[in-house]
Amino acid sequence: MLSYVVAGLALGAVYAIAAASLVVTHVSSGVFNFAFGAMAFAVARFYYFLYVEQGWPLPLAAFVAIGLFGPALGVLLYAVLFRHLRLRSPLVKIVATIGLSVALPPLVNLVFGQLVNATAPGLAPQPVTVYRPFGAVVDMNQLITYAGLAVVLIVGTVLLRYTDVGLKVRALVDSEALTAMSGVSPARVSVGVWAFSALLAGLAGVLVAPTAGLSVDGMTFLMAAAFAAVVAARLRSLPTAVAVALAMGVVTSVIQRYLDPESALASQIVPSVPFLFMLAFLLAHAVRGRAGDAPAGGVLDRAVRAEHSGAPAGLPRSGFLAPLATLAVVACLPLVLDDFWTGLVAMGIALAMALLSCTLVTGEGGMIWLCQITFAGFGALLAADLTTNSGWPPLAAVLVSAVCVVPVGVVLGLLTIRLGNLYVALVTLTFGLLAQNLVFMRDRFYNSGQGIFMPRPEWALDNRTFALLALAVFAVLGLFVVNLRRSTAGLAVTAVRWSETGSRTLGLGIVPVKVLVSAVATFVAAVGGGFVALAYQSALPDSFNPFTGLVWLAVLVTVGARPVVGALVAGVAFAVLPSVFQTYLPTRWAEVPVILFGFGAVMLARNPEGIIAMHARQLRDLGHWLQSRRAPAEEPSTPQGELV
Amino acid sequence: MSAASVTTPARIEARGVTVRFGGLVALSEVDLAVPPASVVGLVGPNGAGKSTLFAVLSGLLAPSAGSVLMDGHDVTRASAQARARRGLARTFQHPELFPGLTVREHVVLAYRLRHTRHRIWTDLVTGGGFRRAPVDEERRADSLLAALRLTDQAHRPVSGLPLGTSRLLEIARALAVDPGVLLLDEPSSGLDARETDELAATLTRVVADHGVSLLLVEHDVELVLGMSDVVHVLDFGVKISEGSPAEVREDPAVRAAYLGAGHGEERTSA
Repeated sequence: MLSYVVAGLALGAVYAIAAASLVVTHVSSGVFNFAFGAMAFAVARFYYFLYVEQGWPLPLAAFVAIGLFGPALGVLLYAVLFRHLRLRSPLVKIVATIGLSVALPPLVNLVFGQLVNATAPGLAPQPVTVYRPFGAVVDMNQLITYAGLAVVLIVGTVLLRYTDVGLKVRALVDSEALTAMSGVSPARVSVGVWAFSALLAGLAGVLVAPTAGLSVDGMTFLMAAAFAAVVAARLRSLPTAVAVALAMGVVTSVIQRYLDPESALASQIVPSVPFLFMLAFLLAHAVRGRAGDAPAGGVLDRAVRAEHSGAPAGLPRSGFLAPLATLAVVACLPLVLDDFWTGLVAMGIALAMALLSCTLVTGEGGMIWLCQITFAGFGALLAADLTTNSGWPPLAAVLVSAVCVVPVGVVLGLLTIRLGNLYVALVTLTFGLLAQNLVFMRDRFYNSGQGIFMPRPEWALDNRTFALLALAVFAVLGLFVVNLRRSTAGLAVTAVRWSETGSRTLGLGIVPVKVLVSAVATFVAAVGGGFVALAYQSALPDSFNPFTGLVWLAVLVTVGARPVVGALVAGVAFAVLPSVFQTYLPTRWAEVPVILFGFGAVMLARNPEGIIAMHARQLRDLGHWLQSRRAPAEEPSTPQGELV
Repeated sequence: MSAASVTTPARIEARGVTVRFGGLVALSEVDLAVPPASVVGLVGPNGAGKSTLFAVLSGLLAPSAGSVLMDGHDVTRASAQARARRGLARTFQHPELFPGLTVREHVVLAYRLRHTRHRIWTDLVTGGGFRRAPVDEERRADSLLAALRLTDQAHRPVSGLPLGTSRLLEIARALAVDPGVLLLDEPSSGLDARETDELAATLTRVVADHGVSLLLVEHDVELVLGMSDVVHVLDFGVKISEGSPAEVREDPAVRAAYLGAGHGEERTSA
């Protein structure tokens, strides 16, 4: 038993370092760093490059990677991204850091090369020394992990409580505006915080790599596990986050004593422990009415934030011409392209349906749900199951499956919405990972990676007909979204999004309105998932990985999360661009589109509208300018909408 | 105050409302009633607890003790939205508008929430987003926008509206729900003298024609005293005076609260 506890404490210590980093940056900068896993991966990969591939001595490689590269990465990211986020709305902060999480790993792979099944070294010299105190097994990597956490806690506490720097950080946490007025530069303090946070991310990444793997998935899992501790700490209590992280590590380890390590149950339960912790704390917060993600600061801070939050000067009211033209262009593609590219376009249109759910929930509702891909996966698997195993007609199966998935979205919404947007993002990402472990990986659905066969309707077997069918369904869903936007529900959703207090005193319930959007979005996502399965002719669980969902969101917000046609362009781009790169450019450039999508989302920090809305505005500006040159007249104000 | 209002329950009433924030007592056993079709003023120096009382009455803040009644029904535990559905509307010291909507859409949404609430759900399946608005709705929205001189700005997004215009829009939005009682927090702030006079005339007409009750918090003490049937005065969370405008004006406790008599220093006006 002692061995399990010792191993669990080591795992918990890594979680604790990650959670500490997330809490410190959140309370001091207001940015919840969804790119933590990507930053951890970048540093761990650089350490691997120096130590294993270049043969540097371990201490030197560790010092350069964790002590120099990590903080430098933090400073660089602060300069190009995080400093622009300080006064942005919470949604832009979340999406921009998600964009970074999407772009950074493939960029690192592009520079250092992709690793396949690499065994990552820890910080202990090889071979790793093993000790047996009191019958327990402790290796050097675990001892270093304990020491790492102890150093982080001691140094962090001393820095925060007893130094001038710590005083400034604490002042920044309480009120950035007042800190600035007292002569302290918030930017200078923030850059230090981000450097320290990146150092912790690197340390956590290097420490967890030997057990979780030196992969983006492993680091994302580390981050998601740390989310549980952060949620338990209500996003701000460092001691609680550390304590819960350690407890999670111990429980994760001890539970393995009672499970057959070869059993499917063990492979599903063990990785789910952090998420079950999160669920428990979430329920506790919901029942006690605590939590909420209100930012720190006083009246002055709120005034400054309101001034810069990017509230729209008017959301663009697009006409029908541009969307119809785009639909027409996409409809022509299957008619002129060969079967291979037509298949990709069909896939893109199917994907666009799923992305419409993000248009609804993010573009309209102003919420970040990171499990739309999971709803799509549920829809796909259920529809394929009904079709293949119960003989249902494919389209009917897609429709009925989508209806069946709606309650999942409703329950998730009821649990999280009242806690605030950040909690919604955290919980939905975690839910996605949980669903992947507990549902998608089940033999019945996974089927050795083959998924479940999903036949197309007999009259739409070829790619061309199927692409046109998918486009027709997309058009119907698009009209549904436009109807919602222009309807009473749309007005209510917009009202709730921009002022909950104003909405409540008008008689609008916040939760029912947001749950309505969530339910509709869940339905649309599940229909989209069904069509993705039809496009592949198989419901493949691997195509509904939550990390891929982050890329979906990045693509969508890059193009524009509000325009319905944005989902179509994003879907087709997501499906077609990688093949364009693979076909016409060197193989190692295959991930460049993902990098571009990620940086597109990062650019939201500067242009919250997205590409389509931004270019539409620029075109309108150009039109107005040309008009004004011909006949000088009073310049109408240009609507400028925020994307999310 | 009419004879009918003596027997008719108050539209909204605070009974012994106390609010504590930790050790700070923001309101101490405050009683206040707004009878039907009347204008009640609430004044007091900065920090007197006026906004706190508004928050309690509108359901945004739960009192530590005491109760709130609407038309005789205890609504102390009712949510803000439940009270709104009972006919309570309010405006805010810092206008709470919806930047994603136009001026007209604010009024239309409020009207629909009162008169065709079911459309939140039915529009989704009936294609309500593509249909023309009903004549009644158009007429009501037009008249409210005209009454508050917002017609020219009807299709303008609300971001960037001047403060005075934002306040007028909040009032139009509040009136669109045909409230039984309207709580107005600093409605004349940001308006010039002419606009303030027009607003006072509009509000007086609303009370006279539609029987709406008003509870008015206002820095412009003359406006409050000129419009109100009854005035309540708060100071440091305690109600120090209640009566007709003339009575309140002559009350030594009120003069002391405003001018600092007995306190040795001048205080900020209401």
